[in-house]
Amino acid sequence: MKSDFSKRLRVVLIALGGALMALGLMAGAANAQNVVNGERYVPGIWVDPDGCEHWVMDDGAEGYMTPHTTREGIPVCRRVNTCAVMNSDQLFATDSARISAAGRARLEEFFRNAGAIAYSINGHTDARASDEYNMALSLRRARAVAAIGRSVGARIASVRGYGERQPIATNSTAAGMAKNRRVEIQCIR
Amino acid sequence: MTNTKTFAVLGFAAIVSACTDIQDKTVDRQFGGSQDLSNLVAGIWIDPNGCQHWIIDDGLEGYLSARLDRYGKPVCTDAYPTGYAIGSYKDGQEIADFL
Repeated sequence: MKSDFSKRLRVVLIALGGALMALGLMAGAANAQNVVNGERYVPGIWVDPDGCEHWVMDDGAEGYMTPHTTREGIPVCRRVNTCAVMNSDQLFATDSARISAAGRARLEEFFRNAGAIAYSINGHTDARASDEYNMALSLRRARAVAAIGRSVGARIASVRGYGERQPIATNSTAAGMAKNRRVEIQCIR
Repeated sequence: MTNTKTFAVLGFAAIVSACTDIQDKTVDRQFGGSQDLSNLVAGIWIDPNGCQHWIIDDGLEGYLSARLDRYGKPVCTDAYPTGYAIGSYKDGQEIADFL
């Protein structure tokens, strides 16, 4: 009964978090933190087979678990589960989503041999040109890669374009920009 | 209106659930001893939308948590039937052979 209630309390708390901030009641909430007699729940961390962390708690009767993410919603992972990173320059001409013959051969070989149950394809660009243009270009490129995967029988779980929004290197050097122009293939096992 | 109501609920809940026992929630307390929660072995449960969740049944407690890709998007495929859990996720058995 008691833990049932604390469960509900936490659900309400989470739901209210955003509303509280919007209402500018942060000061009140901070004060309340000092006086509210809630039940203390300190989570442990469980690492899933992908290498990403989850908050886990066991209060004796119930178990609880939820993904550990940053405030931006990005999972906190101890290793990165990327199967392959294809350099866009080796697959595409500038501003194009047409894959070269050599690139096609390479991708076909990859999809034939990777042995995953499914693949997620994520396209990225450097920060030149507009954000909108890059979002579209990265998606078209990801779709082109996915089409090759499908053509050799690979199951494609998702195809997304992140444009210039997820850089892995600086966009202020040529080498950094080249790194950012990429198509990532995640293997789902 | 709703806010007033929820605040009332909040206050009431805070009072009722006032509790003094502070215990370590990071340890699995099942019958026959305790183990560190980080040792749990997961299977995969497919929700009705085809998206995957880690599922763990350690004998007494059950755990379920979303499988997310590195960008925070759910991992969804039609590789498995929806509404099924796959893998040997029960009671610390060896890691699943999904095929």
